[in-house]
Amino acid sequence: MSEDRQKTRDGEVEEFAEEQASLWRITLSPLAWAAHFVICYGLVALSCAKGLPVESVRQGLIVFSVVVLALIGWIGWRAWRQWDVRETGDYLNQQGKAEDRHRFLGHAAFLLSIISFIGVVFVSLPLLLLEGCG
Amino acid sequence: MSRDRDQKPVMPRPSGTFPPSEAMLAEPVPDEVQRVQQERLRKAWATPKGWRYWSAVNNSEVGVWYSTTALFFMLAAGVMALLIRLQLAVPENDLIPADRFNQLFTMHGSAMMFLFAVPMFEAISIIILPALLGARDMPFPRLSAFGYWSFLIGGVFVIGSILFDAAPNSGWFMYPPLATKAEGVGSDIWLLGLSFIEIASIAAAVELIVGTLKCRPPGMRVNIMPLYAWYVMVVGGMILFAFPPLIAGDFLFELERSFDWPFFDPERGGDPMLWQHLFWIFGHPEVYIVFLPSIAIAAMIIPTVARRPIVGYSWIVLSAVGTGFLSFGLWVHHMFTTGLPSISLGFFSAASEAVVIPTGIQLFAFLATLMIGRVTMTLPMLWIAGALAVFTMGGLTGVMLAMAPFDFQAHDSYFVVAHLHYTLFGGMIFPVIAGVYYFYPFIRKKKLSERLGRWSFWLIFVGFNVTFLPMHLTGLKGMPRRIYTYPEGIGWDWLNMISTIGAFVIAAGFAVFVWDLFRPKRGQGQVARNPWQAGTLEWSHEIPEEAWGVRSIPHVTSRYPLWDQPQIVERMDAGRYYLPDAEEGKRETLITSVIDAEPLQVQRVTGPAWITHAAAIFTGGTFIFPTFHVYPPAIVCGVLAVACILYWLWTSTARPPEADSKDVGLGLRLPTYASGPASAGWWAMWITMLGDATAFASVIFGFFFYWTARPDFPPDGAAHAEPLLVAIAAGAMAASWALTLWARGANRRGAVSLARGALVAAPLLAGVGGIGLIGSVWTLEPTSHVYPAILWALAIWVVVHTGVGVIMQVYCLAGSIFGKMTPRYDADIWNVSLFWHFHVLSAVVACAVMGFAPGVL
Amino acid sequence: MGARSGEYGSLRRVDGIGAPFFVLGLPLFLSACSGRQSALDVAGEDAAAISLLFWVMFGAACLLWVAMNGLFFFLSRIRPGQFPDRYVQPLLIGGGILLPTVLLAALLVWGLGLLPDQRAPGDGLRIKVTGEQWWWRVEYWPEGAEAPVVTANEIRMPVGERVEFLLGADKVIHSFWIPALGGKMDMFPGRETRVSLRAERTGVFRGQCAEFCGASHAWMAFETVVMEPDTFDAWLEAEAGDALMPVEGAATRGAALFLSQGCGACHTIRGTEAVGQVGPDLTHVGGRLSLGAGRMGVSTAGFTRWIGHTEALKPEVQMPSYDFLSTEELDDLAQYLVGLK
Repeated sequence: MSEDRQKTRDGEVEEFAEEQASLWRITLSPLAWAAHFVICYGLVALSCAKGLPVESVRQGLIVFSVVVLALIGWIGWRAWRQWDVRETGDYLNQQGKAEDRHRFLGHAAFLLSIISFIGVVFVSLPLLLLEGCG
Repeated sequence: MSRDRDQKPVMPRPSGTFPPSEAMLAEPVPDEVQRVQQERLRKAWATPKGWRYWSAVNNSEVGVWYSTTALFFMLAAGVMALLIRLQLAVPENDLIPADRFNQLFTMHGSAMMFLFAVPMFEAISIIILPALLGARDMPFPRLSAFGYWSFLIGGVFVIGSILFDAAPNSGWFMYPPLATKAEGVGSDIWLLGLSFIEIASIAAAVELIVGTLKCRPPGMRVNIMPLYAWYVMVVGGMILFAFPPLIAGDFLFELERSFDWPFFDPERGGDPMLWQHLFWIFGHPEVYIVFLPSIAIAAMIIPTVARRPIVGYSWIVLSAVGTGFLSFGLWVHHMFTTGLPSISLGFFSAASEAVVIPTGIQLFAFLATLMIGRVTMTLPMLWIAGALAVFTMGGLTGVMLAMAPFDFQAHDSYFVVAHLHYTLFGGMIFPVIAGVYYFYPFIRKKKLSERLGRWSFWLIFVGFNVTFLPMHLTGLKGMPRRIYTYPEGIGWDWLNMISTIGAFVIAAGFAVFVWDLFRPKRGQGQVARNPWQAGTLEWSHEIPEEAWGVRSIPHVTSRYPLWDQPQIVERMDAGRYYLPDAEEGKRETLITSVIDAEPLQVQRVTGPAWITHAAAIFTGGTFIFPTFHVYPPAIVCGVLAVACILYWLWTSTARPPEADSKDVGLGLRLPTYASGPASAGWWAMWITMLGDATAFASVIFGFFFYWTARPDFPPDGAAHAEPLLVAIAAGAMAASWALTLWARGANRRGAVSLARGALVAAPLLAGVGGIGLIGSVWTLEPTSHVYPAILWALAIWVVVHTGVGVIMQVYCLAGSIFGKMTPRYDADIWNVSLFWHFHVLSAVVACAVMGFAPGVL
Repeated sequence: MGARSGEYGSLRRVDGIGAPFFVLGLPLFLSACSGRQSALDVAGEDAAAISLLFWVMFGAACLLWVAMNGLFFFLSRIRPGQFPDRYVQPLLIGGGILLPTVLLAALLVWGLGLLPDQRAPGDGLRIKVTGEQWWWRVEYWPEGAEAPVVTANEIRMPVGERVEFLLGADKVIHSFWIPALGGKMDMFPGRETRVSLRAERTGVFRGQCAEFCGASHAWMAFETVVMEPDTFDAWLEAEAGDALMPVEGAATRGAALFLSQGCGACHTIRGTEAVGQVGPDLTHVGGRLSLGAGRMGVSTAGFTRWIGHTEALKPEVQMPSYDFLSTEELDDLAQYLVGLK
């Protein structure tokens, strides 16, 4: 829509226009948490109900948890770079400029990655501590 | 959808200058121009007088009715609580008979949740959200009004049943088989009456989300929008994913009640656990749906009393979004004692503990703000302090209950009663009352009494703790919930007596509060503008009040524009900003882009109407008559409701405007019409369909749940859906979808008659699909076993949606013939094809499950 | 606290951690945790583990509550506005993320570790309990038994032995809960759930249905008698036998009345013509501690009241009130039933 106008605007660098499309990006980490959660719960419930080998499902899910943690770590690292606080020293991102919006979304996504990471670690604990369908 | 976007839009684009320069803003508006503009604007936004007042749709009117009604329902539910407490004051009391007691606690819980907590959030948001965003109104005012009248009708119906000794009596959670087998109409009142209200709630959620995403003032990027708006967005999203599973559950439940389809009857392959899952997938997020917006009120009050911007804005956004997500992973902690495998319990224990972290973060952000600000203990802040004290307690007992082993003991005991009241009083009641004290000068332009406010605070605070603190112990001493009486000598007697006394102290506190709210305040002059010296836009509203909301829609560049943009109020008043006029005498507001709030379009918003009342009454009839198992009047009501809604849409939405674009001030020209993703209506459809798809997914989940949990699903030798007819149905639906999509393209290319041809063929094909699907299950006997029953339920779900889709296609056809829809003004068919995207997806999934499942399972 | 712990057995095991609470001044919890239906007056291994978990969480919760609200009070009332901005990030990171993450992770590791013990298999004796509206059908299946010993509305179990309960329900969901012994477990129609409990001391503990199950949910309770193993074996053997035949006048008349009034259509009294399956087995009802599923104690007066006013004592119960019987007839019936030791 208005990208053409935007280029002419002072201080509005093209670099920051990429987020025009979507607010959903900040929810990537929590979505990863949600997917991990549903898959863990669903697979365990299914294997207990249908008599599948729970032990191997459990071990597979532990590996899967590690993969999800790595994914969230990667998303978080990208968000950290987008926030760019070490460069700017700006924790607040409270100006009405495109750059602030860009960094703010990075900050929010970074914090959400931390929470999601902790969430996945917590949800993985039962896989490590408990066995079987009892 | 990317293919859609490639097509060249015919619409004019926004043109001119944005953002405005300081010089443009500094230029004064001549007095005469101001006067003329004000007159026209006042006329366009005038609230109807006399009996016509009730046809108003403006957010400031509807919001006040909405919140007052919700308050009334809360007081009624509170009286029920007092009766409950009276009955439990002494052992072996015979004041209230068992069945009446069961109705009371069922209705207390149901009313507090469905008739107070969620509607109150929506009511408050309807009142303040447009003001926070410097918007004139909600994007769909008649939808708000429709939602309100539906809520009123449904609420009176549901809560009124207690006066006729006909109320539901199986608990607010309505567990089958108890609730499916319950005699009388109580369960039906709960299912149908509350489904009706839930649908109104979803409508309000859709409107609030669109309002937040698309109706922000120019310049208000996501990083500077008020935190309340963030919460509204998160909570709206949660409603969208939390309520549909319950609606799907209600759908199955009512089919069992009315037609004996055994979804929850274990003797015929059903499973009561499915209801528990669906109910709590709704039920737990529900708690956060209630809690988050209330804490959002605190996020508005705290910066004001601390005289500085909120600390940790990003942290609070994280907390809202994070809580929103995590709250969907907690539901099984209501089912810890159902015998699920330990690992499964572990997942939910862990997620229930994890949700503490974002919740704690928002409290710490508040503390940090108070730490570096200079707090004044105003009355609203006193209530927030009370909220903190009470809520942290509820949160900590929540940590305990989330530990599965402890829950084995505490579950369904009075410990849980104490816990949930601590979270809901601390997380909802106290912050909302704080909000009432804070926003009352905004809503009524008067102040509430400081003295009465402190009285009611201390009465409620002390009364609350006297009532609920002992209940922790009562529960640990083994008293289960929902018992109408108890024998003496187990050690519960004096604890219950204390709780009862406390309940009446709370009631006294509420009496003071309500008196303060409604007592005549004629002697008191109107408050000064922005009495709290707050920084957000709602306090820019004029005194005395003007129905237009804001005189002109400002360009916002700060989180606290009234603090940081020195002349903003003055310039808004002068009509210096956007949309200062209503040349055509129509109500208008600005539509801006989702992330950066760049102005996109001028949206016509609807004015006073009676059609919403008719639509609400007939929709009510559609839900209420089946409660008594009378179907013909229900069908008549259904038809009339559809007719009313069609009339309303036809006459007041997406009408071709007088001109393609208009000058909105400050050298900016905006289109007056938008279709597709640029329009608010398209977003509303998208969001609604997301909720609808969630409900459908819940029914599909039901299918696979039976397969997982029951050994006899499908039973040996069971008849299956006729595969050929299923395939035909899927094909016909897909063809109907493709034709609709093609018609949209043809219409825009100007091939109007081809488009019309396609719109004639598409409904016919859809009809074939619907008939095929019903035909495929026609010979199955749904009362015999859950397998044929769920196949029937899937077929009905798809067929009903097909019916809606057909109506939409015909609506577009009629629009094309009668000049409402043209190649240029084609919002209707964009919305309809969006509906069909979702519909064809669910139809194909349903057909795949029905057709392939027997082979695969 | 020390002086009290002799009185309240449940507190003895938590003396060490209990002390700080006392200092914090929470007399409410310490004055009265006892009771024969109290989860804190523990008599079983499972309840003890949970009770310890509770006391530790409770202590931590008290500290955290005081810390959080104390901080609020300090920042808003005592020293408002005197802190620089640089404290903000540490407060948010430390208080908002680090502290809860560490505490909750530790709690999860401990708490989840308790779950396997809570689901431990039994030592041999299995008791099948079916929830009815509103009473309990009870079957004892000692190890190797081919037929159960059927009784109702009372659980007896040997001390020191892990007993496995197999739970089901007739029409609606109930929940089986003996707080002094351990956590609860729901009972479903059409599905079997299980819980195992190990009593650590003898005594009588009250259990109650914890899942709302209709009008008389409040009156669906039972007594649990934990006995020495020898006593239990003797009791079970007696319980397996037929009912005692009445010998003296009133009870004999009562036995005849029981049959002539059709009580046997619903109730079983083994050794007589009464073989009904709808209501509780009454073979040894006189030997139980309660009647009407924990509604009242067993006595002649109790039976008279129960039979004459069933519907008032237990709303919507299936059994009708036999209020048309004369006082003498009711008394005869009561004499008969109370004699069924």
